[in-house]
Amino acid sequence: MGTYEVKAEVTGSVWKIVAAVGQEVEPGGTIVIVESMKMEIPVVAEDGGRVEAIRVEEGAPVAEGQVVAVMAG
Amino acid sequence: MNQAQAELPPQATAAGRALQEYERRLAAALAMGGPDKLARRREAGLLNARERIARLCDPGSFIESGLFGDSALRPGTAPGDGKVTGFGRIEGREAAVAANDFTVMGASSSATNGRKIGHLKRVAAQRGLPLVFLGESSGARMPDHMGSRGMGTMLGNDGTQYQRLRETPWAAATLGYSYGSSSWYSVLSDFNVMRKGAILAVSSPLLASLAIRETVDPEALGGWRLHAETTGFADMVVDTDEEAIDAVRAFLGYLPGHCNEAPPVRAVPAGSGEGMRDILGLLPASRTQVYDMRRIVRAIVDRDSYFELKARFGKVATTGLARLDGRTVGIVGNNPMVKGGALDTDACEKITSFLVLCDSFNIPVVMLVDTPGFVIGTEAERKRAPGKIMNFMNALSLMTVPKLSVIVRKSYGQAYLNMGGGRNSDEVAAWPTAEVSFMDTQYGVRIVHGLEPGQPGYDEAYGRMNQDSEVWPMAGVFAVQSVIRPQDTRDYLIRMLEVHRMRPGNGTGSRLMRAWPTSY
Repeated sequence: MGTYEVKAEVTGSVWKIVAAVGQEVEPGGTIVIVESMKMEIPVVAEDGGRVEAIRVEEGAPVAEGQVVAVMAG
Repeated sequence: MNQAQAELPPQATAAGRALQEYERRLAAALAMGGPDKLARRREAGLLNARERIARLCDPGSFIESGLFGDSALRPGTAPGDGKVTGFGRIEGREAAVAANDFTVMGASSSATNGRKIGHLKRVAAQRGLPLVFLGESSGARMPDHMGSRGMGTMLGNDGTQYQRLRETPWAAATLGYSYGSSSWYSVLSDFNVMRKGAILAVSSPLLASLAIRETVDPEALGGWRLHAETTGFADMVVDTDEEAIDAVRAFLGYLPGHCNEAPPVRAVPAGSGEGMRDILGLLPASRTQVYDMRRIVRAIVDRDSYFELKARFGKVATTGLARLDGRTVGIVGNNPMVKGGALDTDACEKITSFLVLCDSFNIPVVMLVDTPGFVIGTEAERKRAPGKIMNFMNALSLMTVPKLSVIVRKSYGQAYLNMGGGRNSDEVAAWPTAEVSFMDTQYGVRIVHGLEPGQPGYDEAYGRMNQDSEVWPMAGVFAVQSVIRPQDTRDYLIRMLEVHRMRPGNGTGSRLMRAWPTSY
């Protein structure tokens, strides 16, 4: 069991943090929703697992490739 | 034969000795690189070249060409000279097959096996057979290619060796270490499935390490993840040799045997179209929410027929072969699930290569549109976005197969044209949920009226501009030919593809992109 980073695929701002630290997430589960190009774009944990840390705050800008969360799984 | 001869043992006559020699040589050729190497492959769960051919071809249909090929420079050392070639049937249709035998000199390229491959390609092109490459090779044979005599003798004897005119479909499976010829043929092919663990690269990690004086990790050099996600050279990734070969069979099942015929027609599976009733449920209520276009694709096409290509590359769009009423179609869909469906340069290249494939093999294309436009900004420009967008546009313009466009939701700006808007499709249909404009209304109000949200007049200007984005004004000027209920999309497409069948060409188009690049 190791950890992996969940990264934003698109530049925008954090609209909503959906998952909480400590929460178990299914593969493909949404961690945060980024608003970009007037769309709500989910950032997902491809392999699922437990949320170790959330690295962004609601309303804050996020860049493509930026780590938004760390997962254990 | 008289009585006395018949009683002699076989080896006592010239013919008998010749037949014995035949059997000995046959056994030696079929033994490939020997029992030890074959056993090691079996233990690793890998098929050998002949097992791969057996999996690919209909039982008993393979007829070999060049079984007694051998090293021209060191006779007696290379059974089949490391590449097994011949002809077999795949689902009843003739195909040409080359399987690299890694157990014989690493399936390295040589004088004899080069002639075998050349023959195979000539027959395939002249007689209209799909060509399959089962790749796993170490590159040029050494020391045969060394020095100027080696180069002059071994290379460049066939000026069409790497020419692609798309006379027939080529399908490749990358099934192991593939350097040199196997990687060339994988990227020249219309379809390349990669088995996890295979490496596709110009040259081996060893040579790369020597050249740049650092240790090169094979997976980083040419592993499945690189080619599925970054280069797009892997159209599909699977876990086993068997799955890879089955994928080649499935791919070819969508294509015609050659460019002068229409693709095959299959029976329509029971249950096809059942998902249409609830299709609107796949579209979120809010225009700012995203969804997976592939669920809409799967609902529309014949059941279980969506064969997605490059699923992990350029994911803002989905491309794949499918069947509608038993007939092959190519699907190009924006996928809002990834980056809102905004088209990036990877997606441009993926779609362009897919349009070339469909147009070259008489496959109509259906475009499902929901995109806010092209990704813009400095990063996109650095990735040469204008060039990629125009390659995509030029490909669309050069297509002579039928192309139908369905606007599901958003269609904005230049992407409206790239996704078949206006005369860039033979027919444009729109769902009532469609919204078409040059840019998102919020940006439009700012740029046209100079108004920010909250300023006096913003809401009125926004309302006016937003209403103008509905589909009705566009239908009113016949820039969409049909506005359809979402649940009627499958029936509409089937019917409209019948209307647009290529009758003058007997099911074939003009193939203006037959010489376009095979990778980007």
